[in-house]
Amino acid sequence: MESSSILDSLGVEIIGVMAPVSICMFLVVLLTYSLSVTSDPQIRTAANLIYIENPSDSATVKLEGSLENAIVFVVLVAAVTFVLVLLFYFNFTNFLKHYMRFSAFFVLGTMGGAIFLSIIQHFSIPVDSITCFILLFNFTILGTLSVFSEGMPIVVRQCYMVVMGIVVAAWFTKLPEWTTWFILVALALYDLVAVLAPGGPLKLLVELASTRDEELPAMVYEARPTVSRSHRGGGGSSLRVLVGGGGGVLDSGSVELQAVGDGAATHNLDYNAVAVMDIDSVDGVGRSREGHSASSVSSEPSRELGSIGNRESVAEEEMSPLVELMGWGDNREEPRGLVEESDNIDRGIKLGLGDFIFYSVLVGRAAMYDLMTVYACYLAIISGLGCTLILLSVYNKALPALPISIMLGVVFYFLTRLLMEPFVVGVSTNLMMF
Amino acid sequence: MISSGQVWPTIDGPLGLTEEASVDYARRFYKFGFALLPWLWAVNCFYFWPVLRHSRAFPQIRNYVVRSAIGFSVFTALLSAWALTFSIGGEELFGPVWDKLVMYNVADRLGLAGLA
Repeated sequence: MESSSILDSLGVEIIGVMAPVSICMFLVVLLTYSLSVTSDPQIRTAANLIYIENPSDSATVKLEGSLENAIVFVVLVAAVTFVLVLLFYFNFTNFLKHYMRFSAFFVLGTMGGAIFLSIIQHFSIPVDSITCFILLFNFTILGTLSVFSEGMPIVVRQCYMVVMGIVVAAWFTKLPEWTTWFILVALALYDLVAVLAPGGPLKLLVELASTRDEELPAMVYEARPTVSRSHRGGGGSSLRVLVGGGGGVLDSGSVELQAVGDGAATHNLDYNAVAVMDIDSVDGVGRSREGHSASSVSSEPSRELGSIGNRESVAEEEMSPLVELMGWGDNREEPRGLVEESDNIDRGIKLGLGDFIFYSVLVGRAAMYDLMTVYACYLAIISGLGCTLILLSVYNKALPALPISIMLGVVFYFLTRLLMEPFVVGVSTNLMMF
Repeated sequence: MISSGQVWPTIDGPLGLTEEASVDYARRFYKFGFALLPWLWAVNCFYFWPVLRHSRAFPQIRNYVVRSAIGFSVFTALLSAWALTFSIGGEELFGPVWDKLVMYNVADRLGLAGLA
């Protein structure tokens, strides 16, 4: 008897990814709105190398210039990703991790610091420089430590991923308008090719990581591995079950069972029997940007409840201390026999940091026009993300998260701006509706 | 079938660190917190919250976590006292130094706030 419907576990997984994306987008919109960020024509960035947009140029000039900017940008991103793949291939993983930590430090310290200072200036908060410096220092160091580190609470790690996404996205909204749109579309196409095409750098990266069974040296947001309470033989990823009836993520690797006592104790002990398994298969959405993040694959042990109750017919959901605490090394064979059914594992879905950033850039850019476009783009992006998650459960391999959402977002932005706005504004100013 | 109630030292439960690794991390958080990093002490307390709750388990970790908690409270008290005095006291209390210390002026002078 299942005490929870499939919607509980399915919902938790999807929310686990959509919530941080929504929070990131919301905060970027808030930042853009309150600070009235405008495009600064003086800044020359990687996105501006060829053509600096001038609002007074004609449409054709802007079109060509932005197209060139976008192409150059994508080429740069591709080049950096190939370098990343090479370094990973030659086992420079440590160097990559230190580089990522350094870039996290840099992003949080300088770009994040600039944002805080802008906020302080804008609202004239009378805080003194010493306090400010100490707080910024703490914030940056903690963020650097949370990247690739084992010893940080998962919540802190997730928060810092979101914060970094916000910081980079806020800076990207300073790009000129036409360039932003072209870059978004170009990156969506690049993502599609890089993750799915046989020679694509992200696909190579993902395959390398999975054959070596290593963690990707990239910044990814990982949703907390869910502990499903379902009792079916191998609850598995609910997404998978929803779509294909357990398309089986079969795994090799050791099984480890741990019993946790009755719910009397702390929140920690609310997990029932947990099976921790190593898994080879790849199961994530991924994309990469500028060496900041690379595609995501989950290759981590995860938990799964229930179904381990064969040895002793413990049918009931909670409070079923099944098997005793097993050492990490011993009893590997024995539990294996128990868990024939629980082969499907829930793992935290991983979403690359680049996705956070570019979704937020799109929504931030929409915010610079009007709130109506923000709502439309937000809904479009979230539905795109939902589609991508469903595809993920169907195909069970790393998928690009950008294309569907960005395409939907761009289409909806322009449709809203061209069609919906005149309608809504006209109708409401004439007091007919709204 | 023994049911052992495993108490995990970290707030993440089975997803977090094991006990041996926890002692190491607790000690490191405690020591580095002295480098003007009170937030590390805060993370220490937050991460090892179960250690604070079960007062008899994990004696070694508890040592560091309790000291981190004390350190964090002391530091926060001092820092907020200073910050509040600064912002509430304002120019009357400090005189011209206030203008030199306040963040938005410093940012202006050094040209730091680039976003807006």
